[in-house]
Amino acid sequence: MKLNLTDIKSSYEGFSLLSRLAHRLEGYLLEKVDIDMSHVGWFDANMCAPFGAILYRTSQAVNTVSIANIRSNIQTILCKNGFLANYGYPIMLDTYRTTIPYKRFERQDGRYSASYVNTHLRGKGMPQMTRGLRKKLLESILEIFSNAVSHSRTELGIFSCGQYFPKKDRLDFSIADLGMGIRQNILETRKIDLPAEQAIQWAISERNTTKTGRVPGGSGLKILREFISMNVGRMQIISDRGYWEFREGKEVLKRMVDPFPGTVVNLEFNTADTDSYCLASEIDPEDVF
Amino acid sequence: MNDQITVRVFEIVGSGDCISSEDGQRVYELMVRAFKEGRRVNLSFKNIDYVISAFLHPAIGQLYGRYDESFVRAHLAVSDMSQEDLPTLKRVVEDAKAYFKDPERAERARRSVLEEDDGDS
Repeated sequence: MKLNLTDIKSSYEGFSLLSRLAHRLEGYLLEKVDIDMSHVGWFDANMCAPFGAILYRTSQAVNTVSIANIRSNIQTILCKNGFLANYGYPIMLDTYRTTIPYKRFERQDGRYSASYVNTHLRGKGMPQMTRGLRKKLLESILEIFSNAVSHSRTELGIFSCGQYFPKKDRLDFSIADLGMGIRQNILETRKIDLPAEQAIQWAISERNTTKTGRVPGGSGLKILREFISMNVGRMQIISDRGYWEFREGKEVLKRMVDPFPGTVVNLEFNTADTDSYCLASEIDPEDVF
Repeated sequence: MNDQITVRVFEIVGSGDCISSEDGQRVYELMVRAFKEGRRVNLSFKNIDYVISAFLHPAIGQLYGRYDESFVRAHLAVSDMSQEDLPTLKRVVEDAKAYFKDPERAERARRSVLEEDDGDS
Protein backbone atom coordinates (compact mmCIF):
# COMPACT_ATOMS: atom_id res chain seq x y z
CA MET A 1 0.00 0.00 0.00
CA LYS A 2 1.53 3.31 -1.08
CA LEU A 3 0.25 6.67 0.15
CA ASN A 4 1.37 10.11 -0.96
CA LEU A 5 1.69 13.15 1.26
CA THR A 6 1.92 16.79 0.28
CA ASP A 7 3.05 19.85 2.32
CA ILE A 8 2.25 19.58 6.01
CA LYS A 9 1.91 22.89 7.83
CA SER A 10 0.34 23.76 11.19
CA SER A 11 -2.86 24.87 9.49
CA TYR A 12 -6.39 23.69 8.75
CA GLU A 13 -5.09 22.23 5.48
CA GLY A 14 -2.19 20.45 7.20
CA PHE A 15 -4.37 18.88 9.87
CA SER A 16 -6.96 17.94 7.24
CA LEU A 17 -4.29 16.12 5.23
CA LEU A 18 -3.14 14.16 8.27
CA SER A 19 -6.74 13.30 9.18
CA ARG A 20 -7.26 12.10 5.62
CA LEU A 21 -4.18 9.91 5.98
CA ALA A 22 -5.49 8.51 9.29
CA HIS A 23 -8.81 7.76 7.65
CA ARG A 24 -7.15 5.94 4.76
CA LEU A 25 -5.03 3.86 7.11
CA GLU A 26 -7.98 2.66 9.16
CA GLY A 27 -8.65 -1.06 9.05
CA TYR A 28 -5.24 -2.06 7.74
CA LEU A 29 -3.82 -5.22 9.26
CA LEU A 30 -0.53 -6.99 8.52
CA GLU A 31 0.17 -4.69 5.57
CA LYS A 32 3.26 -2.94 4.34
CA VAL A 33 2.47 0.77 4.31
CA ASP A 34 4.79 3.07 2.32
CA ILE A 35 4.43 6.80 2.85
CA ASP A 36 5.82 8.60 -0.18
CA MET A 37 7.03 12.09 0.68
CA SER A 38 8.38 13.05 -2.75
CA HIS A 39 5.67 15.74 -3.06
CA VAL A 40 6.36 17.24 0.35
CA GLY A 41 8.20 20.54 -0.04
CA TRP A 42 7.52 21.78 3.51
CA PHE A 43 6.93 19.95 6.75
CA ASP A 44 6.46 21.91 10.01
CA ALA A 45 8.53 19.80 12.38
CA ASN A 46 6.08 20.11 15.29
CA MET A 47 3.55 18.30 13.07
CA CYS A 48 5.60 15.14 13.73
CA ALA A 49 3.44 14.79 16.87
CA PRO A 50 0.10 14.17 15.07
CA PHE A 51 1.85 12.45 12.14
CA GLY A 52 3.69 10.14 14.53
CA ALA A 53 0.49 9.39 16.46
CA ILE A 54 -1.25 8.27 13.26
CA LEU A 55 1.68 6.10 12.15
CA TYR A 56 2.06 4.61 15.64
CA ARG A 57 -1.61 3.60 15.59
CA THR A 58 -1.01 1.96 12.21
CA SER A 59 2.04 0.07 13.51
CA GLN A 60 0.02 -1.08 16.54
CA ALA A 61 -2.33 -2.79 14.08
CA VAL A 62 0.68 -4.92 13.04
CA ASN A 63 1.49 -3.04 9.86
CA THR A 64 5.03 -2.17 8.77
CA VAL A 65 5.31 1.53 8.08
CA SER A 66 8.05 2.95 5.86
CA ILE A 67 8.72 6.53 4.85
CA ALA A 68 10.48 7.13 1.54
CA ASN A 69 11.60 9.79 -0.93
CA ILE A 70 12.05 12.58 1.59
CA ARG A 71 13.71 15.76 0.36
CA SER A 72 17.08 16.21 2.00
CA ASN A 73 16.25 19.44 3.88
CA ILE A 74 13.16 17.85 5.44
CA GLN A 75 14.99 14.61 6.13
CA THR A 76 17.67 16.55 8.01
CA ILE A 77 15.14 18.23 10.34
CA LEU A 78 13.16 15.03 10.94
CA CYS A 79 16.38 13.12 11.67
CA LYS A 80 17.53 15.86 14.05
CA ASN A 81 14.32 15.74 16.06
CA GLY A 82 14.49 11.94 16.23
CA PHE A 83 11.23 11.34 14.36
CA LEU A 84 12.69 9.35 11.48
CA ALA A 85 14.63 7.11 13.88
CA ASN A 86 11.29 5.31 14.35
CA TYR A 87 11.38 4.37 10.66
CA GLY A 88 14.96 3.21 10.34
CA TYR A 89 16.75 6.50 9.63
CA PRO A 90 19.78 7.60 11.66
CA ILE A 91 19.50 10.15 14.47
CA MET A 92 21.39 13.31 13.55
CA LEU A 93 22.95 15.72 16.01
CA ASP A 94 20.92 18.92 16.30
CA THR A 95 23.92 21.26 16.26
CA TYR A 96 21.87 24.45 16.59
CA ARG A 97 19.47 22.85 19.08
CA THR A 98 16.30 24.43 17.74
CA THR A 99 14.23 21.25 18.04
CA ILE A 100 12.27 19.83 20.94
CA PRO A 101 12.58 16.16 19.98
CA TYR A 102 9.69 13.96 18.95
CA LYS A 103 8.69 11.74 21.88
CA ARG A 104 5.97 9.32 22.82
CA PHE A 105 5.07 9.33 26.50
CA GLU A 106 3.04 6.93 28.55
CA ARG A 107 0.23 8.48 30.57
CA GLN A 108 2.16 8.10 33.82
CA ASP A 109 5.27 9.94 32.56
CA GLY A 110 4.21 13.35 33.92
CA ARG A 111 7.43 14.26 35.67
CA TYR A 112 9.57 13.03 32.82
CA SER A 113 7.61 15.24 30.44
CA ALA A 114 8.43 18.31 32.58
CA SER A 115 12.11 17.55 32.50
CA TYR A 116 12.02 16.82 28.73
CA VAL A 117 10.47 20.18 27.91
CA ASN A 118 12.59 22.08 30.42
CA THR A 119 15.85 20.58 29.16
CA HIS A 120 15.14 21.24 25.50
CA LEU A 121 13.82 24.76 26.04
CA ARG A 122 17.28 25.58 27.38
CA GLY A 123 19.07 24.42 24.22
CA LYS A 124 21.67 26.85 22.97
CA GLY A 125 19.67 27.52 19.83
CA MET A 126 16.55 28.36 21.79
CA PRO A 127 15.59 32.02 22.19
CA GLN A 128 16.66 34.13 25.14
CA MET A 129 13.37 34.58 26.95
CA THR A 130 12.56 36.41 30.14
CA ARG A 131 12.34 34.16 33.21
CA GLY A 132 8.59 34.85 33.42
CA LEU A 133 7.96 33.97 29.77
CA ARG A 134 9.97 30.74 29.98
CA LYS A 135 8.08 29.73 33.12
CA LYS A 136 4.63 30.46 31.66
CA LEU A 137 5.57 28.79 28.38
CA LEU A 138 6.64 25.62 30.17
CA GLU A 139 3.57 25.65 32.42
CA SER A 140 1.38 26.01 29.32
CA ILE A 141 2.93 22.92 27.75
CA LEU A 142 2.51 20.99 31.01
CA GLU A 143 -1.16 22.02 31.11
CA ILE A 144 -1.73 20.34 27.74
CA PHE A 145 0.19 17.22 28.75
CA SER A 146 -1.98 17.01 31.82
CA ASN A 147 -5.14 17.63 29.81
CA ALA A 148 -4.24 14.84 27.39
CA VAL A 149 -3.60 12.45 30.27
CA SER A 150 -6.80 13.20 32.16
CA HIS A 151 -9.27 13.58 29.29
CA SER A 152 -8.20 11.32 26.44
CA ARG A 153 -8.23 8.02 28.37
CA THR A 154 -5.77 6.83 25.74
CA GLU A 155 -3.76 3.65 26.14
CA LEU A 156 -1.51 4.44 23.19
CA GLY A 157 0.42 7.28 24.78
CA ILE A 158 0.90 10.96 24.15
CA PHE A 159 3.00 12.29 21.28
CA SER A 160 4.85 15.57 21.35
CA CYS A 161 7.26 17.59 19.25
CA GLY A 162 8.39 21.20 19.07
CA GLN A 163 10.32 23.48 16.76
CA TYR A 164 11.76 26.95 17.21
CA PHE A 165 11.67 29.16 14.13
CA PRO A 166 14.34 31.82 14.88
CA LYS A 167 13.57 34.05 11.89
CA LYS A 168 9.92 34.32 12.93
CA ASP A 169 10.53 34.49 16.72
CA ARG A 170 8.05 31.65 17.07
CA LEU A 171 8.15 28.36 18.91
CA ASP A 172 5.55 25.76 17.95
CA PHE A 173 4.78 22.83 20.21
CA SER A 174 2.27 20.10 19.43
CA ILE A 175 0.83 17.39 21.62
CA ALA A 176 -1.35 14.65 20.14
CA ASP A 177 -3.24 11.76 21.67
CA LEU A 178 -5.24 8.90 20.20
CA GLY A 179 -8.00 9.08 22.79
CA MET A 180 -11.74 9.51 22.66
CA GLY A 181 -11.71 13.15 21.53
CA ILE A 182 -13.43 16.18 23.01
CA ARG A 183 -16.82 15.66 21.37
CA GLN A 184 -17.17 12.11 22.68
CA ASN A 185 -15.91 13.11 26.13
CA ILE A 186 -18.57 15.83 26.45
CA LEU A 187 -21.22 13.44 25.19
CA GLU A 188 -20.29 10.74 27.69
CA THR A 189 -19.77 12.93 30.74
CA ARG A 190 -22.29 15.75 30.24
CA LYS A 191 -24.74 14.12 27.81
CA ILE A 192 -24.39 17.08 25.46
CA ASP A 193 -24.21 16.15 21.77
CA LEU A 194 -22.39 18.84 19.80
CA PRO A 195 -20.76 18.99 16.37
CA ALA A 196 -17.01 18.41 16.84
CA GLU A 197 -15.91 22.02 16.26
CA GLN A 198 -18.54 23.36 18.66
CA ALA A 199 -17.51 20.76 21.23
CA ILE A 200 -14.00 22.27 21.20
CA GLN A 201 -15.48 25.73 21.65
CA TRP A 202 -17.60 24.42 24.53
CA ALA A 203 -14.51 22.98 26.24
CA ILE A 204 -12.64 26.26 25.96
CA SER A 205 -15.55 28.39 27.23
CA GLU A 206 -15.71 29.85 30.72
CA ARG A 207 -16.92 27.53 33.48
CA ASN A 208 -17.47 24.53 31.20
CA THR A 209 -15.85 21.29 32.28
CA THR A 210 -16.36 17.59 31.67
CA LYS A 211 -15.50 16.91 35.31
CA THR A 212 -18.38 15.58 37.37
CA GLY A 213 -16.75 14.28 40.56
CA ARG A 214 -15.56 15.93 43.75
CA VAL A 215 -12.45 17.41 42.15
CA PRO A 216 -13.28 20.40 39.97
CA GLY A 217 -11.37 21.15 36.78
CA GLY A 218 -11.60 22.64 33.33
CA SER A 219 -9.30 25.58 33.97
CA GLY A 220 -6.32 24.39 31.91
CA LEU A 221 -7.48 25.32 28.41
CA LYS A 222 -8.81 28.68 29.62
CA ILE A 223 -5.50 29.50 31.30
CA LEU A 224 -3.72 28.61 28.04
CA ARG A 225 -6.00 30.77 25.98
CA GLU A 226 -5.45 33.74 28.32
CA PHE A 227 -1.69 33.32 28.11
CA ILE A 228 -1.67 32.91 24.32
CA SER A 229 -3.79 36.04 24.04
CA MET A 230 -1.32 38.10 26.14
CA ASN A 231 1.65 36.55 24.34
CA VAL A 232 0.14 37.29 20.90
CA GLY A 233 0.67 33.67 19.92
CA ARG A 234 -1.62 31.12 18.35
CA MET A 235 -3.49 28.13 19.70
CA GLN A 236 -5.07 25.36 17.63
CA ILE A 237 -7.14 22.40 18.77
CA ILE A 238 -8.07 19.57 16.45
CA SER A 239 -10.36 16.83 17.67
CA ASP A 240 -12.56 14.45 15.70
CA ARG A 241 -13.78 16.55 12.74
CA GLY A 242 -13.38 19.81 14.63
CA TYR A 243 -10.80 22.51 13.99
CA TRP A 244 -10.52 25.48 16.36
CA GLU A 245 -7.95 28.26 16.14
CA PHE A 246 -7.35 31.30 18.31
CA ARG A 247 -5.10 34.10 17.17
CA GLU A 248 -5.00 37.83 17.88
CA GLY A 249 -8.27 37.73 19.79
CA LYS A 250 -10.17 35.93 17.04
CA GLU A 251 -11.55 32.41 17.00
CA VAL A 252 -11.85 30.33 13.82
CA LEU A 253 -14.08 27.25 13.81
CA LYS A 254 -14.06 24.78 10.93
CA ARG A 255 -15.11 21.25 10.24
CA MET A 256 -12.77 18.77 8.58
CA VAL A 257 -13.92 16.12 6.10
CA ASP A 258 -12.15 13.29 7.93
CA PRO A 259 -11.90 12.94 11.69
CA PHE A 260 -8.58 13.03 13.51
CA PRO A 261 -8.52 9.89 15.68
CA GLY A 262 -7.93 11.76 18.94
CA THR A 263 -6.97 15.30 19.84
CA VAL A 264 -4.09 17.60 18.90
CA VAL A 265 -3.23 20.85 20.63
CA ASN A 266 -0.71 23.10 18.91
CA LEU A 267 0.64 26.12 20.73
CA GLU A 268 2.61 28.78 18.89
CA PHE A 269 4.48 31.08 21.26
CA ASN A 270 5.79 34.51 20.42
CA THR A 271 9.32 34.25 21.82
CA ALA A 272 10.14 37.92 21.28
CA ASP A 273 7.60 38.81 23.95
CA THR A 274 9.21 40.69 26.84
CA ASP A 275 6.24 40.96 29.23
CA SER A 276 6.93 39.57 32.66
CA TYR A 277 3.54 37.90 33.10
CA CYS A 278 2.84 39.45 36.44
CA LEU A 279 -0.49 41.23 36.30
CA ALA A 280 -0.36 45.02 36.31
CA SER A 281 -1.81 45.06 39.82
CA GLU A 282 -0.26 42.37 41.95
CA ILE A 283 -2.51 39.77 43.55
CA ASP A 284 -2.52 39.68 47.33
CA PRO A 285 -2.42 35.99 48.38
CA GLU A 286 -4.77 36.86 51.25
CA ASP A 287 -7.45 37.92 48.76
CA VAL A 288 -7.36 34.73 46.68
CA PHE A 289 -9.84 32.68 48.72
CA MET B 1 -0.17 24.47 71.00
CA ASN B 2 0.14 26.61 67.88
CA ASP B 3 -3.13 26.69 65.92
CA GLN B 4 -1.40 27.19 62.54
CA ILE B 5 0.81 24.64 60.89
CA THR B 6 2.93 25.10 57.78
CA VAL B 7 2.55 22.53 55.02
CA ARG B 8 5.55 22.66 52.69
CA VAL B 9 4.49 21.73 49.18
CA PHE B 10 8.05 20.99 48.05
CA GLU B 11 8.43 18.37 50.76
CA ILE B 12 5.20 16.59 49.76
CA VAL B 13 5.79 16.72 46.01
CA GLY B 14 9.49 15.94 46.32
CA SER B 15 10.48 18.46 43.66
CA GLY B 16 9.69 21.95 42.40
CA ASP B 17 7.15 20.69 39.85
CA CYS B 18 3.51 20.87 40.99
CA ILE B 19 2.09 19.18 37.91
CA SER B 20 0.30 16.00 38.95
CA SER B 21 -3.18 15.53 40.38
CA GLU B 22 -1.88 12.75 42.66
CA ASP B 23 0.48 15.20 44.36
CA GLY B 24 -2.37 17.69 44.64
CA GLN B 25 -4.52 15.03 46.31
CA ARG B 26 -1.75 14.36 48.88
CA VAL B 27 -1.61 18.06 49.76
CA TYR B 28 -5.41 18.15 50.09
CA GLU B 29 -5.48 15.14 52.42
CA LEU B 30 -2.84 16.64 54.70
CA MET B 31 -4.72 19.94 54.91
CA VAL B 32 -8.01 18.20 55.68
CA ARG B 33 -6.32 16.29 58.53
CA ALA B 34 -5.07 19.59 59.94
CA PHE B 35 -8.50 21.23 59.61
CA LYS B 36 -10.13 18.28 61.37
CA GLU B 37 -7.75 18.92 64.28
CA GLY B 38 -8.89 22.53 64.39
CA ARG B 39 -5.70 23.96 62.88
CA ARG B 40 -5.21 26.63 60.30
CA VAL B 41 -2.82 25.86 57.45
CA ASN B 42 -0.12 27.97 55.89
CA LEU B 43 0.54 26.32 52.53
CA SER B 44 4.09 27.24 51.55
CA PHE B 45 5.19 27.17 47.90
CA LYS B 46 8.80 27.94 48.77
CA ASN B 47 11.22 26.57 46.11
CA ILE B 48 8.38 25.57 43.76
CA ASP B 49 9.20 26.26 40.11
CA TYR B 50 6.08 25.23 38.19
CA VAL B 51 2.43 25.08 39.18
CA ILE B 52 -0.45 24.03 36.94
CA SER B 53 -4.20 23.75 37.40
CA ALA B 54 -4.10 19.93 37.34
CA PHE B 55 -2.29 20.15 40.69
CA LEU B 56 -4.20 23.07 42.17
CA HIS B 57 -7.70 21.70 41.55
CA PRO B 58 -7.30 18.57 43.68
CA ALA B 59 -5.13 20.38 46.24
CA ILE B 60 -7.18 23.53 46.75
CA GLY B 61 -10.21 23.63 44.42
CA GLN B 62 -11.52 20.44 45.96
CA LEU B 63 -11.73 22.12 49.39
CA TYR B 64 -14.77 24.10 48.22
CA GLY B 65 -16.76 20.88 47.88
CA ARG B 66 -16.09 20.13 51.53
CA TYR B 67 -16.01 23.54 53.24
CA ASP B 68 -17.76 26.81 52.59
CA GLU B 69 -15.86 29.85 51.35
CA SER B 70 -15.66 31.53 54.75
CA PHE B 71 -14.11 28.42 56.30
CA VAL B 72 -11.43 28.22 53.59
CA ARG B 73 -10.70 31.94 53.90
CA ALA B 74 -10.35 31.66 57.68
CA HIS B 75 -8.30 28.47 57.75
CA LEU B 76 -6.04 28.54 54.70
CA ALA B 77 -3.25 30.92 53.77
CA VAL B 78 -0.82 30.59 50.86
CA SER B 79 2.74 31.85 51.13
CA ASP B 80 5.83 32.06 48.90
CA MET B 81 3.84 31.64 45.69
CA SER B 82 5.28 33.64 42.80
CA GLN B 83 3.29 36.53 41.37
CA GLU B 84 3.23 34.65 38.03
CA ASP B 85 1.41 31.73 39.64
CA LEU B 86 -1.09 33.65 41.76
CA PRO B 87 -3.38 34.33 38.74
CA THR B 88 -3.48 30.56 38.09
CA LEU B 89 -4.46 29.93 41.72
CA LYS B 90 -7.07 32.69 41.59
CA ARG B 91 -8.55 31.22 38.40
CA VAL B 92 -8.68 27.72 39.96
CA VAL B 93 -10.40 29.07 43.08
CA GLU B 94 -12.98 30.97 41.01
CA ASP B 95 -13.65 27.94 38.81
CA ALA B 96 -13.97 25.68 41.87
CA LYS B 97 -16.47 28.02 43.53
CA ALA B 98 -18.50 28.12 40.30
CA TYR B 99 -18.25 24.33 39.94
CA PHE B 100 -19.77 23.67 43.36
CA LYS B 101 -22.55 26.22 42.82
CA ASP B 102 -24.16 23.47 40.74
CA PRO B 103 -26.43 21.75 43.29
CA GLU B 104 -25.91 18.28 41.79
CA ARG B 105 -22.13 18.51 41.99
CA ALA B 106 -22.27 20.00 45.48
CA GLU B 107 -24.50 17.16 46.66
CA ARG B 108 -22.27 14.54 45.03
CA ALA B 109 -19.20 16.05 46.71
CA ARG B 110 -21.01 16.22 50.07
CA ARG B 111 -21.96 12.54 49.86
CA SER B 112 -18.45 11.56 48.82
CA VAL B 113 -16.99 13.49 51.79
CA LEU B 114 -19.43 11.81 54.19
CA GLU B 115 -18.47 8.37 52.87
CA GLU B 116 -14.78 9.21 53.24
CA ASP B 117 -15.28 10.47 56.80
CA ASP B 118 -17.25 7.33 57.71
CA GLY B 119 -14.37 5.26 56.34
CA ASP B 120 -11.90 7.19 58.51
CA SER B 121 -13.85 6.68 61.75
